[in-house]
Amino acid sequence: MHEVSIADSLLKIAVDECKKNGCRIILNVKVCIGKASGVMPEALLFAFDALKAETIAEGATLTIEEVPVAGHCSACNADFTAPESYVLCCPQCGSSAYTLHEGRELDIKELEVE
Amino acid sequence: MKLKVASKILDANERIARDNRKIFSDAGVYVINLMSSPGAGKTSLLETTITALKNSLKVGVIEGDVAGTDDAIRIDRLGVPVVQINTGGACHLDANMIYEVLGDLPLSGLDILFIENVGNLVCPAEFKVGEDIKVMILSIAEGHDKPLKYPLMFQESAALIINKMDLKPYLEVDVEKIKRDALSLNPSIRIFELSCKSGEGVEQWTAWLQTLTS
Repeated sequence: MHEVSIADSLLKIAVDECKKNGCRIILNVKVCIGKASGVMPEALLFAFDALKAETIAEGATLTIEEVPVAGHCSACNADFTAPESYVLCCPQCGSSAYTLHEGRELDIKELEVE
Repeated sequence: MKLKVASKILDANERIARDNRKIFSDAGVYVINLMSSPGAGKTSLLETTITALKNSLKVGVIEGDVAGTDDAIRIDRLGVPVVQINTGGACHLDANMIYEVLGDLPLSGLDILFIENVGNLVCPAEFKVGEDIKVMILSIAEGHDKPLKYPLMFQESAALIINKMDLKPYLEVDVEKIKRDALSLNPSIRIFELSCKSGEGVEQWTAWLQTLTS
């Protein structure tokens, strides 16, 4: 349900960036959402569509790129990606000496504007 | 035309959270963002903690709820400063809601401020409010499957309180599994098993709080 707050922040950033660049309407917003970020893409799309009405993003689509959880294990020196939204141990060797470097993203990447 | 943007979606919240953090650290108050499902025992833990610490630490509380003032009334009875925030529907507290009530608390007179978040195991984990640490409560009546169902909350928390331990004889719950999974998700998480009702285990928790604020 916090996707509504996230969509609201996203729209504010998009509208500010668009105006700052002297443009009038937003056609598309592209975001990266990590699988471990706690955000459901479907809920974010729903919230975005509900909140964009009567803004310069009224006709905009939202493109969500999902980023899998990825990390590095210092025990076996392997880089890995995980199918789940969390990691309990290195999927290669089972060690807990791993660090995660991707999967928590909540980033706005690109706008298509006119 | 395409515009490249490299911005975190929650950047505005994080900026306000940093401002709050600065206000707290200038006032010398340690801030704990307390999170759990509804009914896990956040307010009971605060009552127990305040009662145990009232002679050694000055405690303040911000209560976050969708509606109502029941929790603030419970805390007010203990004679500590408390402010109630009603989110009016929102499932979590954000940094700006906290910023707006800071003037209502005697921050520089406090050693520790608890921010009791809205009861929810998902959304509050995502929003920084300016806290030093997040602490979560899981009551054993919720079951041992919760760490793997709600991993983000366990990953974000510096401590996990396993509450309602007095109910253990009546429940088919594997407390060791809760601990094992929580530690796998977050190897540095501190775990306290306690019961607000019986008082068992509370001393370890309050002793740890005193090390944080000393």
